[in-house]
Amino acid sequence: MTEKIVIDPITRIEGHLRIEAEIDEGAVSDAWSSSTMWRGLEVIVKGRDPRDVWLMAQRICGV
Amino acid sequence: MKKHPGSNSVEVLALQRVSRRDFLKFCTLMAGTLALPASMVPKVAHALETAKRPPVVWLEYQDCAGCTESFLRASRPTAAELVLNTISVNYHETIMAPSGRQAEKSLEEAIREGGYITVVEGAIPTKDDGVYCCVGGRTALDLLQEVTANTAAVITVGACAFYGGWPATTPNPTEAKGVKDLISGVPILNLPGCPMNVDNFTATLVHYLTFGKLPAMDDLGRPLFAYGRRIHDNCERRGHFDAGEFVKEWGDEGHRKGWCLYQMGCKGPIAFHNCPTVRWNEGTSWPVAAGHGCIACAAPDFWERGAYETVPVHELTPPTAFPGVAPTPVDTSTVAGAVAGAAVGVAAGVIGTVAVQQLSKKEE
Repeated sequence: MTEKIVIDPITRIEGHLRIEAEIDEGAVSDAWSSSTMWRGLEVIVKGRDPRDVWLMAQRICGV
Repeated sequence: MKKHPGSNSVEVLALQRVSRRDFLKFCTLMAGTLALPASMVPKVAHALETAKRPPVVWLEYQDCAGCTESFLRASRPTAAELVLNTISVNYHETIMAPSGRQAEKSLEEAIREGGYITVVEGAIPTKDDGVYCCVGGRTALDLLQEVTANTAAVITVGACAFYGGWPATTPNPTEAKGVKDLISGVPILNLPGCPMNVDNFTATLVHYLTFGKLPAMDDLGRPLFAYGRRIHDNCERRGHFDAGEFVKEWGDEGHRKGWCLYQMGCKGPIAFHNCPTVRWNEGTSWPVAAGHGCIACAAPDFWERGAYETVPVHELTPPTAFPGVAPTPVDTSTVAGAVAGAAVGVAAGVIGTVAVQQLSKKEE
């Protein structure tokens, strides 16, 4: 028998993550992960002066 | 919150073996940061000893967890995590043990009990009904409204929760916004910065525990004790600005000598923050001391301005060259005029220069 479980949010990580897994007789048979947050940083830095972008890029992740 | 050991600070302090002396030193530091008179120290100490640990719900949306790092690294002074252990963090995705459904249950319980402080880190996307940030299948927008409906106060940490930060920078692809632009009807205090300075966060909590309310704020909701003074006016390199000694290129002689970074794009003249006095990393340093100009990370829309672009200086454009402070050979009249000018600032500096010129004329 296949059962589906969802873990959202995954904690103790930086960012937002969702895991969906299919459990078949006590073992994971299939799984999907989703990042549930998008800031569009790649879009924002496009065309910007590189003298600014280094300051921005170092802030992609604060950990 | 009832499951935690120690319902007030005295018990927490006993558990941590913090001495009475360290505790009082901490209270004095906090009173100083908050610009309270020394006579208030006993009141701060009493409040921390008797106040019930306020529950805190920490929400993370379009963030980088940098403010969380700032919060977790708090270790000043030896009474270290005093106040941060004086609060009861009931929900915080990055540090809490449960995941998924159990995590959301902690949030629901906190909301039901009420009276908690909500800390928000990260911007909130509003485009397409807020789908660009979801937690537990619900949008940040939806969650923020639910959590803040029953909160005692909201503290935003970092530039993103303040005005939207980097995610809200042109072209703002997710129409990200700060908390103050989305909710109303509850007290909101902003601790902008990239990241926020945890000493200011701690001092805000101490104020809240001591007086039962948030500290006095400016028109942008930033506490005056931390954002009331201009960086340029408290900068350790200000003397070089007044003397016309500027870094012109990274690594040049002036840079090696620690001269003023204004011409390299330092935003000190338009930035309001207590970095020069409180500093960072347990009071070790701050950007200007480390050799890079201020980027005004506590100001709204600071990313819209190039970090390398100079800012207009209030009233006066700084001179690029003053007569030398100690020219050789030493002419006593010139030195007197220039020293007087350097001591009282740019305006007086200009007058000083004029005075020096007049003195020279007289001698002729």
